[in-house]
Amino acid sequence: MSWLLGAFSDRRTYGSLVYSLLGLPIGIFGFTIVVTGFALGLGLAITLLGIPVLVATLIFVRAMASIERRLAWSLLDATMPRRPPMSPLSQGFLWGRLRDLVSARQTWREIGFILLRLPLGVVAFTIAITLIGLMFGGFVMPILVVVGVESQIGSWIIDTIPESFFYLPISLLFLLVGPRILLGWGQVSGRIATSFLGVMDRRELKRAVTETLVRTGEADAFSILSEMELRLGRGPSVNPTRVEATLMALESTGQVQAHREGSTTMYRLRDDKPLGQR
Amino acid sequence: MDEFGKMAAREREANRIARRQWFWLHFAVYLTTQVFLVITWALGDSTFPWYVYPLFGWGIFIAAHAVYAFVVKTPEEIMIERESRTSEGRD
Repeated sequence: MSWLLGAFSDRRTYGSLVYSLLGLPIGIFGFTIVVTGFALGLGLAITLLGIPVLVATLIFVRAMASIERRLAWSLLDATMPRRPPMSPLSQGFLWGRLRDLVSARQTWREIGFILLRLPLGVVAFTIAITLIGLMFGGFVMPILVVVGVESQIGSWIIDTIPESFFYLPISLLFLLVGPRILLGWGQVSGRIATSFLGVMDRRELKRAVTETLVRTGEADAFSILSEMELRLGRGPSVNPTRVEATLMALESTGQVQAHREGSTTMYRLRDDKPLGQR
Repeated sequence: MDEFGKMAAREREANRIARRQWFWLHFAVYLTTQVFLVITWALGDSTFPWYVYPLFGWGIFIAAHAVYAFVVKTPEEIMIERESRTSEGRD
């Protein structure tokens, strides 16, 4: 019972409600801009006029993904890295920045999420509105009868007070389970958002591990992991398996030296590799 | 394998178990619903087998979930496994 009632006092339940209600307008907005931008940009690409349209669409995607990250993090407590999970664009000429934007796997994940947000938003909005209706409909119906408004379920017209109480047990039941359903849906939505927007790609993870080693000097993998968790937050980006694999990759390319000390392995950056080559 | 490797392996195993448990829960819900639909179909006007639509429609997701729970590994998991095999071969 406390499992059910706990959802009432959980901030994430209300966050999930707001996130679900926002899902439809945000989904329509993002989907429309992205589909129109790509259709127009690709269609006009042959005349070169399409190129700025495509670039503008990609910039829109990045901005939109940033808003989505913030929404998922603040409303659903979804795990999101504390900085964008992709490398900052090169500081060089426009072409270099553009190449970074197009080649980053994260950009394509962001496009996927914005497109997926429409069907997800429709489902979320439907769940939220249906739950609100089921939770409060039974309480509103007697009031409607008193003020003289008829309600209808199928062909059954509810116009007397005793009839209006028919719905009340259903509403009481949903008042009990509705918040739990919303909380559960919020967790599903949060996981979807994290898997698209919150996963650092391998190149960026390598950079983060290298930065950590620059800061800590020689360190074991436990210290590297906790340092990275402090900076970036724990989640699908930073977890033992990814850190272990990244350290292995850095060791195999000779960027990191490893040596065993008892049951732990100590890592440090190779001195003979200047920072620019790491 | 050092201490950190063991900890990471334990966490991977826990995730794998959780993924399989979620799959079996999903499968149980699927099976219960399909049995209910087939009974409804048999008790009613059982001319057109309409229950095949949810059976196959949802079945696609069940198959995808099974692949995710039992087959799919992340690139990091594959890399660590290969590396462990190589180092075992060296030892």
